[in-house]
Amino acid sequence: MEREFAVKAKGVIKSYDNSHALNGIDLEVRSGQVMGLIGPNGAGKSTFLQAVLGLLNTEGELEVLGLDPRKERHKLLQKVCSITDVAVLPKWMTVDQVLQYVDGVHPRFNLEKAKSILSKTDINNNSKIKTLSRGLVVQLHLSIVMAIDAELLVLDEPTLGLDLVYRKEFYSQLIEDYYDGNKTILISTHQVEEIEGVLSDAIFMNQGKIVMKDSIDAINERFLELRPNQESLERARSLNPMHIRTELGREVFLFEGTEIDKLSGLGEVRPPFIADLFMAIMDKTKYEVQE
Amino acid sequence: MNTLVTLIRRELQEHKVGFIYAPFIVTCVLSLVIISVYFGLTDIQTTEFNFTTKIYENEQALEWMATADLEQITAVMRSGLVVLAFPILLTVAFAILAFNLSTFADERKDRTLIFWRSLPVSDLTTVMSKILLVTLILPLIVLPNIILLHLISLLSASIFFVTNDIVPFGWVWSAYSFTDWFRIIFSLWAQSLWSLPLTAWLMFAGAFAKRPIMGALVPIAVVVVLEGIVLKTNYIFTFIEDRLGFWTRASSFPEQSEELRVVDVTDIYLMFSTQDFWIGMVLSTFLIGGIVYFRSRNNDYSSE
Repeated sequence: MEREFAVKAKGVIKSYDNSHALNGIDLEVRSGQVMGLIGPNGAGKSTFLQAVLGLLNTEGELEVLGLDPRKERHKLLQKVCSITDVAVLPKWMTVDQVLQYVDGVHPRFNLEKAKSILSKTDINNNSKIKTLSRGLVVQLHLSIVMAIDAELLVLDEPTLGLDLVYRKEFYSQLIEDYYDGNKTILISTHQVEEIEGVLSDAIFMNQGKIVMKDSIDAINERFLELRPNQESLERARSLNPMHIRTELGREVFLFEGTEIDKLSGLGEVRPPFIADLFMAIMDKTKYEVQE
Repeated sequence: MNTLVTLIRRELQEHKVGFIYAPFIVTCVLSLVIISVYFGLTDIQTTEFNFTTKIYENEQALEWMATADLEQITAVMRSGLVVLAFPILLTVAFAILAFNLSTFADERKDRTLIFWRSLPVSDLTTVMSKILLVTLILPLIVLPNIILLHLISLLSASIFFVTNDIVPFGWVWSAYSFTDWFRIIFSLWAQSLWSLPLTAWLMFAGAFAKRPIMGALVPIAVVVVLEGIVLKTNYIFTFIEDRLGFWTRASSFPEQSEELRVVDVTDIYLMFSTQDFWIGMVLSTFLIGGIVYFRSRNNDYSSE
């Protein structure tokens, strides 16, 4: 039976002393979605992903693949894969040893598939992990994850500290070779621009709360960015943009819910980059809080 | 079962130097020393310990050897063989000590805990795999080294005795019982169970303390001193002291013996009959529960 939701969260709270790392998260992630968690440091992205993986106790209701992640963690981890940090593969192990280990403990791991994926890389099976470059370690970790028949993949800053080439390679491999439309992926990263083309949905988080959630298609329909001509500046301003920023000395206007026909004659119009939209929403939230 | 085997194999891969290479190297070095002594290449003579073929120049010793009955030969041979195994056991004991203290501390320090816990292996299974390794598997790994050393020393002695026309080749072998291998392994398993509270305590310290050595020593020192001041007793100190030594020589063991001897399997039943043993097992159970608890809460690796 196909599951409608991979993750269901209702009023999820995680408190540390007097502060809330998660402050009432309500979220439903449909099976097959590639959801990006976007937010500044301290927004609660990693905390939420840790809760999804059953690594943290939280208040409220949280269900992952129909299971309680804290109480049924062992069962859950047979269906969930995660890369929470690239630097965590045991350095003393050889590539072959780590593959044998995962094969021994994971019922859904396909050793032959992992070896086949690795054969296309520069990674030697007899190499010790400590001798591999950071980029190759990530490739190894991704190869392991890709050989697991998981329903949910959780990626928490998976490309942190990698150079641009490896980051691009990571995401292209992820989407081309792993994502088949049935698997659900949750990604948290600071490098929003690199995952933009990968996401089906995005969640903006700040201070333990979700400030916006929508599909990328809906975001592209709902928000438009206008770089007005010099002569259309006043006209653009009169249409009440939700945010104005300056880029190379030129003002860029962001509109919410404004029809494209109203804007198209005023300059260059296109959907905003997620990173720019996020910054605008953060500014707007800050302004509202101050008010 | 497959998971447990995989976890134990992983530990052996990680700690192969301490658990596999070190005892084997000690065995090789001891074997070389024994061969060298019997072939007249060297002598070991200290104030505490003599290992030399010069004793066979003594007429009385030769006469004793010629007339000794099987029981007497067996008694001498067995105590000699027990002493031979000491350096190997001591090497493994140090390796186990280091392992117990570091195994849960290192995985936090190098953050591999994140990887281990991202796979479907429960904390209890992981902890039990480490306990099983120390108590059940390591004695099995040590045993071939002890047997090898025994066989090399007996063979060297036999060749020496025959070539020097002291006693026939079979003299030493008549006293060597292959069933002793089972007695050794059962004795080592009993030792592991006897020392389990210490093993579990050291692992527990590694699971909760940032500095495992301090975490292991300071609470014990405090409790021992407090017991001395408040209750005027030293039960905890004796408890720990007993667990550090051989189980047959513990103060609570029903049969006291000053001689070194190969234990009988019936000795293990005697150990099971002591209250101290069961107190240790209950304590170990609580400590193992504590290790699982702390390991499951070691999630301080948020990137935020």
